[in-house]
Amino acid sequence: MARKPKSDRESEKAIRGVDLNEVERLLVFMQKHRLEQFEYERDGVHIMLKKASGHSVGDVRSARASEPVGNQLMEEPASVPLPAAELPVQFVEGKAVTDELHLVKSPIVGTYYAAASPDAEPFVRVKAQVEEGEVLCIIEAMKLMNEIEADVAGEVAKIFVENGHPVEYGQPLFAIRPDRKR
Amino acid sequence: MFRKILIANRGEIALRILSACKELGVKTVAVYSEADRNSLHVRFADEAICIGPPRSSDSYLNIPQVISAAEIANVDAIHPGYGFLSENANFAEVCEASHITFIGPSPDVIRMMGEKDRARAEMGRAGLPIIPGSPGVVADEAMAKEVAAQINFPLMIKAAEGGGGRGMRMVRSKRELIRAFQTARTEAEQAFGSPNVYMEKLIEHPRHIEFQVLGDRYGNVIHLGERECSIQRRHQKVLEESPSSTLDPGDRRNIGEKVVEALRSVRYSSAGTVEFLRDVTGEFYFIEMNARIQVEHPVTEMVTGVDLVKSQIRLAAGARLEEVVGSVEFRGHAIECRINAEDPETFVPSAGRITTFRVPGGPGIRVDTAAHADAVIPPYYDSLVAKLIAHGRDRSEAIARLHGALDGFIVEGIKTTIPLHKRIIADPDFVAGKFDTHFLERLPAAAAAK
Repeated sequence: MARKPKSDRESEKAIRGVDLNEVERLLVFMQKHRLEQFEYERDGVHIMLKKASGHSVGDVRSARASEPVGNQLMEEPASVPLPAAELPVQFVEGKAVTDELHLVKSPIVGTYYAAASPDAEPFVRVKAQVEEGEVLCIIEAMKLMNEIEADVAGEVAKIFVENGHPVEYGQPLFAIRPDRKR
Repeated sequence: MFRKILIANRGEIALRILSACKELGVKTVAVYSEADRNSLHVRFADEAICIGPPRSSDSYLNIPQVISAAEIANVDAIHPGYGFLSENANFAEVCEASHITFIGPSPDVIRMMGEKDRARAEMGRAGLPIIPGSPGVVADEAMAKEVAAQINFPLMIKAAEGGGGRGMRMVRSKRELIRAFQTARTEAEQAFGSPNVYMEKLIEHPRHIEFQVLGDRYGNVIHLGERECSIQRRHQKVLEESPSSTLDPGDRRNIGEKVVEALRSVRYSSAGTVEFLRDVTGEFYFIEMNARIQVEHPVTEMVTGVDLVKSQIRLAAGARLEEVVGSVEFRGHAIECRINAEDPETFVPSAGRITTFRVPGGPGIRVDTAAHADAVIPPYYDSLVAKLIAHGRDRSEAIARLHGALDGFIVEGIKTTIPLHKRIIADPDFVAGKFDTHFLERLPAAAAAK
């Protein structure tokens, strides 16, 4: 939250915690193995890379065969990866492809506490089932303890903050996998 | 000196405060709304904390959020800038209670100056000339006649419980007085539920003259000269300058001494501005005091060489006035243009993305701005984009430099009032120093001027 990256280049090469260098490497990987879709999750960020439907790399290549766009395109399709920028991709942040993850964000500035008191059990752990309205944590602001409630029922998929750490407005606290409606 | 200061503001003034902090070696904490996530002061500050969604009331005006941010960042002091919480006595008290220094006057003084009637009464008692008027509500026709005899014509009858021109009447002679008194009361009752009116001398063709002051925590106060801010539109200042072409050194000394005396008597500390209207006969009338740093402070900085924001910080940290400002010398003339993101003719706000932003420079030119190419001017806050200040040996040189600077200030992607400023400084009356607060209304429209 509070600390900012020292170098501007570092901050340009990342979008919301997504390392673009890494994504480019993944795209090349997908190319190499002729993958249509690739998805993974790490550090609260979910990435899904998917080629535009109906096109394989080969199709895209043949559509451009008549255009002399560059030396690379003149070679055999299987051996030369397309520049990463030409592959249509989707960034899907914080959402699983199969189910939606609901983010609980801090409505106030303060200090995050996982439990009601230093020696008490935390309100929730990962994989806990919570009801709508259930207290997930406390955020202390100006000596007042504010209870933060779950706004959906479901399973706690991820906890983004550490006990005793400061949080700002809008900072993600929990990711909840909502229960499917009966 | 403070270790760390939280800047409870945004835009150009947040950057201004940030640069003063850097000069003093003080760490900075920026607080911002979601709309300002990419703004310059957020990027330049040592730490930054998001305090709410775009709306001011949910973010920059949200005292619990600001104080909470100050606590988790463990700051020593908060600089409130101008607007927002800068004249909120309650906020200043909450800061004190949280053991955070509020960089500004004490809560009591803020409160006093914020209640305009009370400020006028207190400053009147402390020796400042105030607008002659009724002591309070004018109860009946007999009292109306008495007050009129004292304050003379022309005078204004105003509703006590509201404004906006309702329940207001201008009276030029005794003949009109009683009927105006009666109709004002009726209108006031219909508009605000109370027929109560008060009376006040009408200052015709007024010039707005304000004095910059600085005070320390030990009761010492000085003034740093005046600014003339008569070029206004709907009571919003558009262009300001120092010195006023209408004051001679005698006037300056006279009113300056009265201002200092009055503020010493209330133990005023930090920066502030005492505002007057001056009528055609040269009489000054105190209207109000702004107990904070003002938008147009650079004008005084250019003429005196005193860094007002750095001074505020040093004074708040306990420095004595004589260490911070020795003696004040006035050199040359400075003029500031407030460049807003508005249509220069219709004044309709123009929010959006700036595509080109080329800022002028050269001798005697200063630009205070948080805008840049590719910046987005959000629709949630005031429309000030940049302040362009020109300083010269004298008023002519300042105006000449301003011409060049306005021509060289290129902003594309949004509309700005740069063309309006070009017309103002080209106007013969402006150049001759002959104007009052109605100047802008009388300025011919651009099409007519061609």
